[in-house]
Amino acid sequence: MRRTGLTIAVILALVMLLPQAAFAKTTIADVKVAVDTVWVIVTACLVLFMQAGFAMLEVGFSRMKNVGSVVAKILANMGIGLVVFWAFGFAIAFGTGNAVFGTEGWFTSAAPGEVDKVFAGLSWTEVPLGAKFLFEVAFALVSLAIVWGTMLERTKFAVYCVFAVVFAGFIYPTVGHWIWGGGWLSGLGMQDFAGSTVVHLQGAVAALAGTLLLGPRLGKYDDEGRPRTIPGHNMPLAVLGVIILWIGWWGFNPGSTMAAVGAPFAYIALTTNLAAGAGVLGAMVASYLHRRIIDVGMLGNGALAALVAITASCAFVAPWASIVIGFVAAVVMYATYIFVERLRVDDPLGAIASHGMGGVWGTLSTGLFATPQLVKEIGVGDPGLFYGGGLHQLGVQALGILAAGGFTFATSYIVFAILKATIGLRVKPHQELDGLDVSEHGVYGYAESLVATDEYREAVTLDSGGREG
Amino acid sequence: MAEKPMAQAAARGNTIVNVYADRVEIVSGWQGQHTERIPHRSIADVRVRGLVNCTLTISTNEGRVYRLEHMALPDANEIRAAIGHQKRKAGLYG
Repeated sequence: MRRTGLTIAVILALVMLLPQAAFAKTTIADVKVAVDTVWVIVTACLVLFMQAGFAMLEVGFSRMKNVGSVVAKILANMGIGLVVFWAFGFAIAFGTGNAVFGTEGWFTSAAPGEVDKVFAGLSWTEVPLGAKFLFEVAFALVSLAIVWGTMLERTKFAVYCVFAVVFAGFIYPTVGHWIWGGGWLSGLGMQDFAGSTVVHLQGAVAALAGTLLLGPRLGKYDDEGRPRTIPGHNMPLAVLGVIILWIGWWGFNPGSTMAAVGAPFAYIALTTNLAAGAGVLGAMVASYLHRRIIDVGMLGNGALAALVAITASCAFVAPWASIVIGFVAAVVMYATYIFVERLRVDDPLGAIASHGMGGVWGTLSTGLFATPQLVKEIGVGDPGLFYGGGLHQLGVQALGILAAGGFTFATSYIVFAILKATIGLRVKPHQELDGLDVSEHGVYGYAESLVATDEYREAVTLDSGGREG
Repeated sequence: MAEKPMAQAAARGNTIVNVYADRVEIVSGWQGQHTERIPHRSIADVRVRGLVNCTLTISTNEGRVYRLEHMALPDANEIRAAIGHQKRKAGLYG
């Protein structure tokens, strides 16, 4: 009995003393890094989860015969993007280098204690290198996913794979370096907090380049050149995709603080969500005024355009301004969608309108609405035109759009042109008409709707019919 | 059972070119409602111009010229090769 009591006393003493010993060397700074790291990893998960949103959005807007190819493409792009961005992209974007490229940190490696020296572009955040990479690669994957929204239902699978290597390994990181990695646009004070230009405009511009070379789906335009609606097969799935993306944006914008302690992430979440709400309203008004109906797809695109627009400005603008930005983004998206469709650019998802024009408007909007107080807190650029900042910031933002858009369009067009001249961009017409699921992947997304999968049941039915007869 | 084309490619504006053993069919129109049939013996010349957005030109002995634009180079070359192969096989090239 006495021995048992002694054992219990020793165990209790150890339990009480060990945590103290463990925390004896832990400083407040260590706890801050740990909390920040948890925040960055959680938000990286949310951003990566946006791939599910893109998958559902694209599946919903596709016809049944093509849904398998959509999800296969999303998975392949995640795999390729992750590996290529790890090997080259992260170094080009955030490695220490010149005003155009990062030249250090290939294969996301740095000697212990030299991480900030090798990756100067992200030295402002104290989280470990792994967390930095995981957060940034999730952004690169979002940009890559945007590219394919316009090229659905007719593109060869090999094109997705080859372009993913070039985009994730060179095109996206280069512009990323200019604006986020200490490059020349960052030196000018360009404000793009979470990537209206870096992520969304780039994706949309690359998509435009690809779509111009690819051409519209068979049957998209009638004999007089008027656009015909090719409805997606499942609107609820498309809207689910939009809502997943909306939730993903809780990681995209607030997570871009890359710190939790002392960072204004709750404020950023507020402006982000206000803009998204206003975007839905803007699309609703535009859709009703134009066609006297509330178009479900347009509501989703309105939310997305607003979220894209507020991405650049979420940390710089007042809540009322975020509502204006979101509402205008949706109206601009609607007008652009109609315009682009009439130009014979077949964009099944409306990615050029929502991510492209949303990106342009959002990037310009900080030059208009950025408040002096928030600009001072974030420490990038100058206040906007409406707050007495003059035209300087607006000019820098416009220059950034032209430079990033021009570079991305030119390089993407060259890559797609080479692909068209060598392996071709489009599947054969009979493959397009049969659907990419069976021609490219050998399986249907919805097999039971398109082929007989339960022959046993048919046999039983016939037998019983015979007996009854 | 529908006859399977030896080669097939898409061109601008809902246009599809099919090469069969004895003819080329150019299907066009929003719903594929127009079909132009050209027997191999009527084809005088097939040319491919351009590298990226190629133009495939099929000229016939009757003086008709079909221009199929915005084709990918591999597709256009495949169509030209298939027509050439069939004409050689039938002894239609001198």
